Amino acid sequence: MALLEVKNLTVEFGSEDKPFRAVDSVSYSVDRGEVLGIVGESGSGKSVSSLAVMGLIDFPGRVSADSLTFDGQDLLTMPAKRRREITGKDIAMIFQDPMSALNPCFTVEAQIMEALKVHEGGNKKQRRERTLELLNQVGIPDPKSRMTAYPHQLSGGMSQRIVIAMAIACKPRLLIADEPTTALDVTIQAQIIDLLLKLQEDSDMGLILITHDLALVSEAANRIQVMYAGQLFESGPADSIFAAPRHPYTQALLEALPERSEGHDRLRTIPGVVPGQYDRPAGCLLAPRCRYANESCVKARPEVSDFNGRDVRCFYPLNDQGQPTGMATGETV
Amino acid sequence: MSFLDAKPGVPLLESDDLVRHYEVNRGLGKPNATVKALDGVSFSLEAQKTLAVVGESGCGKSTLGRQLTLIEKPTSGALKLNGTEVGHLSDKEAKQFRRTVQMIFQNPYGSLNPRKKVGQILAEPVLLNMDNLGRKEREERVRATMAKVGLRPEFYQRYPHMFSGGQRQRIAIARALILEPKVIVADEPVSALDVSVQAQVLNLMMDLQEEMNVAYVFISHDLSVVRHIADDVMVMYLGRVAEKGPTEEIFAKPLHPYTRALLASAPKIDPTQRVKAEPLTGELPSPINPPSGCAFHKRCPFATEECAKVRPELRNFEGREVACHRVEEIA
Repeated sequence: MALLEVKNLTVEFGSEDKPFRAVDSVSYSVDRGEVLGIVGESGSGKSVSSLAVMGLIDFPGRVSADSLTFDGQDLLTMPAKRRREITGKDIAMIFQDPMSALNPCFTVEAQIMEALKVHEGGNKKQRRERTLELLNQVGIPDPKSRMTAYPHQLSGGMSQRIVIAMAIACKPRLLIADEPTTALDVTIQAQIIDLLLKLQEDSDMGLILITHDLALVSEAANRIQVMYAGQLFESGPADSIFAAPRHPYTQALLEALPERSEGHDRLRTIPGVVPGQYDRPAGCLLAPRCRYANESCVKARPEVSDFNGRDVRCFYPLNDQGQPTGMATGETV
Repeated sequence: MSFLDAKPGVPLLESDDLVRHYEVNRGLGKPNATVKALDGVSFSLEAQKTLAVVGESGCGKSTLGRQLTLIEKPTSGALKLNGTEVGHLSDKEAKQFRRTVQMIFQNPYGSLNPRKKVGQILAEPVLLNMDNLGRKEREERVRATMAKVGLRPEFYQRYPHMFSGGQRQRIAIARALILEPKVIVADEPVSALDVSVQAQVLNLMMDLQEEMNVAYVFISHDLSVVRHIADDVMVMYLGRVAEKGPTEEIFAKPLHPYTRALLASAPKIDPTQRVKAEPLTGELPSPINPPSGCAFHKRCPFATEECAKVRPELRNFEGREVACHRVEEIA
């Protein structure tokens, strides 16, 4: 049984009769010891879907799912008190901007000890010892003196280490990292990702790594899912999904990367922008931007289906040559 | 004015040992500290070329951008446009200078006045710098520039909040271009954008370079973007240049240990290009209290005693400039 099982998760905002679907029937699962990468551009619903798992979507947002189970327990139907015991302890989250994730009014020690107090109890001395141990674990130099430091005295990389220490304080079984390195420099990013993967391996944790950086996710994750405008577009194993993309969007994203271009050639762009709240197309959400789209793409919305062992939401998934399959001849662009 | 005319054989924009220090108040009774944000940077930029400035946050790349546009005056050193010193111009002359050197800022959500319409935002530089133009001509110029950067004519009457990040950056590019400058200093112009939109903006910048013959100083931390757009790369570390040379050579064979570490720590999508290198330990040291000798020696795997004592100067090596004592051994 998977550690986290999400089936048809939907998050809606706005009025009941004209809702805005930030996340639209997304299904995935994470196992123990597995790293799941979620990639997508801004507005693709990757953050909102993980906030929904953490139970952090507040009114007026509405979360619904066929099932949302953690370790066999249904998170949506359980009493709120029981859910709070799980989130923060068994499921922990790391946020994007470490500078704003920490409370500027309290010392590092006080903030980590607060999480320990809520979930683990124990006396102050034990908690302080555990905090020191955690700071050591996340590689903070001279942890004793940093215990009493305030967040403004720390650099971005150091703050992110503190946030990670806080997240792993209660030995979570699932860690959700929402753009953990976006605010950091490349050399620090490499350090933080190495740290996360080491912690994940040591404790056989499940890790969900949310990012917009395709290269980062391809290096760190076992499985990758690509999201677009709230929908899951493609998911599959990390080593093959970028080598042979099956969804036109994945293919287009890869071609837009500067490292894929030769010399001073122009990049192949995806025209237009991600559809917002008011301009969602009726058919496939990518149809206005897709280079292969035809009439049926504009009219109907494709469902996620299996294609060569990959989950793809497209009427005409791509073959190994990067050409759409299943189109009637002469219909292609 | 003499600095406005191009002279054959003279680089368009040249900086010689440019220095910018900031005084920092450290509290009552303590002496002020000096932050050496920019500590002797030299480069030259030819017309229609792109020079990329790369480095981690705090390395002084944005400070450099602010000196080049004369938003701030450098503490010492020379900044030359077409061979004429411009670092200490009077305000009136500086205005002429700014017509030639324009800037694009990082965050298109912060750099556009939310209370002005696109038409007004773009008309402002024209109004201030080309007072001989009438209202009609001004509007014509604004509309022509909007067309150039791919903004539709109906956007003229719209406010910035009505646009996506990519289109806002187009507005910012249009604002920089409208005076037909020779140099554009772009401070992280695509780092706030998504991959697909980033590609659109990069293509636009490259098209405009060919069309309008501008040179770019492209400040960025994203190495793959730099590799794509730049002719030359300058890698900075703690206010000084670590390595400088043609883009392809630097990416093919980085010489300075810091350049190597930077390239190795950037994630690669192609598994065959991944290099398994130990990530750099530690962080950028504080510019208030920089390490003795080579600023990089505490994080450098090749550091020796000499590196801790003597600061390496930039010197020529294999057609590039590198500031490292041991470049011959490690190359």
